Amino acid sequence: MNSRSTARASDHRSSLIVTALSAAFGVALVQATSYMATMITADDAGSFATVQLMLSMVSGVFVVIAVYVGAIVTANTFATIIAGRTRTIALMRLIGSTASTQRRSIAREGLLIGLAGSFLGGVVGFAVAFVALRTAVIADAVPDLSYPVADLYLVLPLLCVVFATWASSWVGSRRVLSVTPIQATGTAQEASREETLTRPFRNAFAAIMFYGGLLLLAGGVALGLFSPFGFIVAFLGGIVSFTGFVTGAHVFMPPVLRLVGRLMGRSPSARMATENATRYPERSTRTTIGIVIGVTLITTFAVASEGFLSMLLGSPQDQPQNPEEVFEILYIVLGVFSALIGFSAIIAAFGMVNNLSLSVFQRTRELGLLRALGFTSRQVRGMIVAESAQMTVAAVGMGLLLGIVYGWAGAQSLLGQMNNGLVLVWPSVPWPLLAALVAGAAALTFGAAQVPVRRATSISPVLALSVD
Amino acid sequence: MSFNHAEAGLVARVSHLTKSYGTGTSLVTALDDVSIGIRQGEFTAIMGPSGSGKSTLMHIMAGLDSPTTGRAWLGNTEITNLGDTELTVLRRRRIGFVFQSFNLVPTLDIRGNIHLPFELDGRTPSTTEKAWIADLVQSLGLGDRLAHRPHQLSGGQQQRVAIARALAARPDLVFADEPTGNLDSRTGREVLSLLAAASKDYGQSIAMVTHDPIAASYADRILFLADGRVVEERERSSAEDISRYMLGMEQNA
Repeated sequence: MNSRSTARASDHRSSLIVTALSAAFGVALVQATSYMATMITADDAGSFATVQLMLSMVSGVFVVIAVYVGAIVTANTFATIIAGRTRTIALMRLIGSTASTQRRSIAREGLLIGLAGSFLGGVVGFAVAFVALRTAVIADAVPDLSYPVADLYLVLPLLCVVFATWASSWVGSRRVLSVTPIQATGTAQEASREETLTRPFRNAFAAIMFYGGLLLLAGGVALGLFSPFGFIVAFLGGIVSFTGFVTGAHVFMPPVLRLVGRLMGRSPSARMATENATRYPERSTRTTIGIVIGVTLITTFAVASEGFLSMLLGSPQDQPQNPEEVFEILYIVLGVFSALIGFSAIIAAFGMVNNLSLSVFQRTRELGLLRALGFTSRQVRGMIVAESAQMTVAAVGMGLLLGIVYGWAGAQSLLGQMNNGLVLVWPSVPWPLLAALVAGAAALTFGAAQVPVRRATSISPVLALSVD
Repeated sequence: MSFNHAEAGLVARVSHLTKSYGTGTSLVTALDDVSIGIRQGEFTAIMGPSGSGKSTLMHIMAGLDSPTTGRAWLGNTEITNLGDTELTVLRRRRIGFVFQSFNLVPTLDIRGNIHLPFELDGRTPSTTEKAWIADLVQSLGLGDRLAHRPHQLSGGQQQRVAIARALAARPDLVFADEPTGNLDSRTGREVLSLLAAASKDYGQSIAMVTHDPIAASYADRILFLADGRVVEERERSSAEDISRYMLGMEQNA
């Protein structure tokens, strides 16, 4: 019992971090919003509520994005944890516990993590915002006004995070229902998930959403050549198709992983890594989808705004009086927005690190077997790094591709009818963003592999011979 | 050492092997001055009750564990002073394993599992090796199972895949650790016959660790271990004789 509860604590460390990060982000943003509203309305205290509401709506978008990505990461983490707990759950079922009791107990863990994480994150976020404000006041960067201590709105992100964590633990624990008591006995090999679950309905739904959304997107772009309404259609198409992509990621991602795997070379480590990533499409999809979402959002935003800027630069009659100043402000605003969206990528990166660690933890016996049969510890290290690289490259690459398409479609549909119509905008990729993404991907590959590599190379080959 | 194991007909040998864990009052001696040889081309059983040190002995002989004192050879290679990487490559190329719990890689299909030793070595089997594997697959009755995954197979079939994997690269020596421990008695007998046949027909050297007298009765030669020492050595014996000897050993203890 004792060992089981410690296993649980380490199981949930990453969900706790992800939850706390989302909560800290949300609370800090709400506080910053109310500080800003105070500054803006310093001369006119009466309009505070209105300004605050407007700013809150903007920051709310970023909080929702962060919580959404956090929820997906948490749901996937729970699904991975449950895959590793199959044996224990089966044993409980064997003794007489019902599947729904088991699932409820996991959802309760999710609720506890949500509460603990949002409390921790809330405190941290509040402190960060407060310290940042005081530092700015001392440095004379902002006026010393009577800023509100705490904003009532900050309960909103906290509630959101608690609910999202709880809900995602519920969604992620779906698999509990398919665990049979018989799995507690004997040496039943784990059937990989794609064989136990065929989901024609979900797959069809995802395909319709994805391709339908893309059609809508194309329609929006075409309409954008004549009418400003094109942007709204394209925006809708983007949301629909991306939802389809996320829903059907277990179908879309494996071919990408396989393609990237082929580029990894033919060494035994790389080949085993490719096998691992593609034979468990569900697991690798779970590991990568957060990164895909984060990178897609950042890229979409960056490409769209870059397109917008270059369009402004290119049309003389719309030139503002003092272009340098305007562009400088625009760049600052874009930088801040990118950083706010980028936060979701950080959350996603945590999710990937954790999923990779868990998957190594769950493969202890298999790795011991490989060591016994003649895989050197260097080869094992190579294999884990290759798995990590494969997933990172596939996720970042996919995110970039989607982001460029969405970003371009956004800019094109918005600007297509400028100067009396029929303007074609080239998809412009901001190079600093690309460089940052490549550097981030490289750092993530090695960062994500560190813990699992240490674990995997310390596995003794004798382990494979032990009987569990 | 100028002793030539191959000429002496030995595929593996250990000399004055001692293995102990812990220190002081908690000192446990798993192996106590063990010296044995495994003969080339024979099916050898290493027998003993639980805790007799037979698994430790096998781990050391297979390069999975290192002794406290003493030396071990595989062929003419002394393995006791090899580094981890050299040991790993030696296991990969010269040793095969059959485990009690089968230990197939669940993500690989049967073909992938059988080819694993080559995969780990970073090469594809040569034409002769391919023919040999096809032969093995045929004689083990796995021909129509190659595209299946391990979990779709029965225990006996999984163990046959493990045997095919162990024999595929024609290692110097195959270690089998209680290969029938997870099988019903009929399937267990089939697996034992297959191991015995591999030794008889192909000259494969096999060392099997077991505490089951019936399993040991399939072997050409039986080494008995008790409390970390070799206490008896016999040529092929019936299960009844082995049982009687084991019982006597228990009563004298």
